Amino acid sequence: MLRRWRRADGAGGVLGGAAGAIYVAFIGLPIVALLVRAAQQENLWNAVTGDLALTALRLSIFTSVVSIAVVVAGGTPFAYLLARSNHWLARVIDGLVELPIVLPPVVAGVAMLMAFGRSGLLGGWLDSAGVSISFTTVAVVFAQVFVAAPFYIRSAKLGFQSVARDYEDVSQTLGVSPISTFWRITLPLAAPSIITGLGLSWARALSEFGATIMFAGNLTGETQTMPLAIMTAMESSGGLDSALALSALLLVVSVLALSALALGSRRRWSGRL
Amino acid sequence: MNGQPGCRGWLHCRLGQFDLRLDWELDAGETLVLFGPSGSGKTTALRALAGLARPISGRIDIAGQPVYDSAGQIWVPAHRRRVGYLTQQYHLFPHLTLAQNISYGLGSGWRNPRTGNPGAGLEEILDAFQLRGLEERFPWELSGGQQQRVALARAMATQPQLLLLDEPFSALDAGLRRSLRHELRVALARRPIPVVLVTHDREEALSMGDKVQVIDEGRTIARGLPIEVLGQPGQTAVARLVGVENLFRMKVDSRHPRDGTMRLSGEGDATPVMLEAPLDDGALDGVAADWVTVGIRASDIILSSDEPVGSSARNRLPGTVSRIEARPPGYLVELDCGIPLHCQVTGASLEEMGIRNGQRLWAVFKASSCFLVQESAAEGAGDPQGASPN
Repeated sequence: MLRRWRRADGAGGVLGGAAGAIYVAFIGLPIVALLVRAAQQENLWNAVTGDLALTALRLSIFTSVVSIAVVVAGGTPFAYLLARSNHWLARVIDGLVELPIVLPPVVAGVAMLMAFGRSGLLGGWLDSAGVSISFTTVAVVFAQVFVAAPFYIRSAKLGFQSVARDYEDVSQTLGVSPISTFWRITLPLAAPSIITGLGLSWARALSEFGATIMFAGNLTGETQTMPLAIMTAMESSGGLDSALALSALLLVVSVLALSALALGSRRRWSGRL
Repeated sequence: MNGQPGCRGWLHCRLGQFDLRLDWELDAGETLVLFGPSGSGKTTALRALAGLARPISGRIDIAGQPVYDSAGQIWVPAHRRRVGYLTQQYHLFPHLTLAQNISYGLGSGWRNPRTGNPGAGLEEILDAFQLRGLEERFPWELSGGQQQRVALARAMATQPQLLLLDEPFSALDAGLRRSLRHELRVALARRPIPVVLVTHDREEALSMGDKVQVIDEGRTIARGLPIEVLGQPGQTAVARLVGVENLFRMKVDSRHPRDGTMRLSGEGDATPVMLEAPLDDGALDGVAADWVTVGIRASDIILSSDEPVGSSARNRLPGTVSRIEARPPGYLVELDCGIPLHCQVTGASLEEMGIRNGQRLWAVFKASSCFLVQESAAEGAGDPQGASPN
């Protein structure tokens, strides 16, 4: 790291340094401001431990963890297939996977409503079978999976691609079956990328707002996740204090979780594949 | 375990447009060298033997057991084949220590009591490959030579019945290669199993191989003892692949059966060049060819600054140095004797004789250093069906 800093010298270094300082201030100032204003509040603790905050936080953590479990369970084998396949179909699907990244979440929410809503393509059929998805906790998970999965799949795919096939081949000639090889060689070697993807994907699920409000609504205790609760608090009279507390809480939880993941993704052998 | 402990069979593989046909026969303790340029299908052959690539047809017997037979619908997957495979880059698992790398294949797969031998113990292997004290190191904390040793130890730990080596020395520097080649031979002698080694390095083929098959564009074009096939190759195609520096098409002037030699002349730029070469008996017998192709290895030619008198060498050609290029370990000097003659000299000779462009020198070599090369290609191995026991 240090060496990389030192290499940047001359005019480019000065310019880059200045831009970097401005950027850090630009990102840092709002975060500091949020924390400072929240801390200045007299009833911060009450707001944070209040019913509204805890209900929303519990729902946010529960839904995002379920979403990530779904994303990992389905996304890992899928990412592996994408990384290893040369088939043209795999390349087409590879492009489609990233579509939700560029799609505005609100649009994703409307689209999901059209598919799984009560009068949607599949939803109508589900409804007649007595299953309804929209405006339930399940819909929250649907929305989060939709927007968060591409971040995980993309990162995991790059991770698998970085593991040369020869490692898997050698492992097999040593008498280890392909499935065991995946657990003992491929997965550990791709772990840094997978954990990064996990972090990005989880952060995206936790912050999901647009698709959730369109498809799942804003029902306290059922579909009102933290971001929705913050907006609701903001809109109510004198709710700024409450919104500040909720925001600070979400910020702290996110930073803690992401730091833990970053530590977990460090490997002694990084860059030696 | 049962049957002969060697490896034999034939293969037909296709990789896109590329077509590979190969047949081989190999006893335990023998090393077969597959020699050829990159892209000739050598690695494909190894992968098929290891069970990592599936041929279109063929049969592979290892230790008397078929592991692949297209006729009998037999396909043993890589992890059940008991074939050790050393890749060019070794591919030591970077997240595992040396000890973990070596014991990786132990205790799984073929430790099955039904299939026989368990792998040798880790301790035993560490001693055998002189890796004591390095157990806790990670692969990147090892030297190139140590990495190779670990890769070999890891492969041998699972007690394979066939060992495949894909250019095992290409990642090492020249000095290390020599000592490691010796080390590898010693390690292999301890546990005699058939070995297939792939290389495009002539020296490696000569020092490691008991047998050699020259592969070009997916076909075996020559096979036999390394010293015969690679030393004085009998065909132009092989001669070019093994890097015979001097190949000339020459006219037969006269034959001297009593001396076992003949005189050849080549069209030089100004004057005809005369060479004395062994008589073309044997293969070309009965057909008194007017034209022959003759090969001379650059290392068989001696350069002299004065006209050599009183020498038994039958060929003494004067010429002018037209080019000098570095060719480790030494230099390749091109001497224009009417025909461009390439001669290998050491750096010391180059310096002592003060060899430079335009200098007049004599090239001296024995008649027996000239060998006749057949213009034809393709050995009878083109039909692998013939080698199939079906």
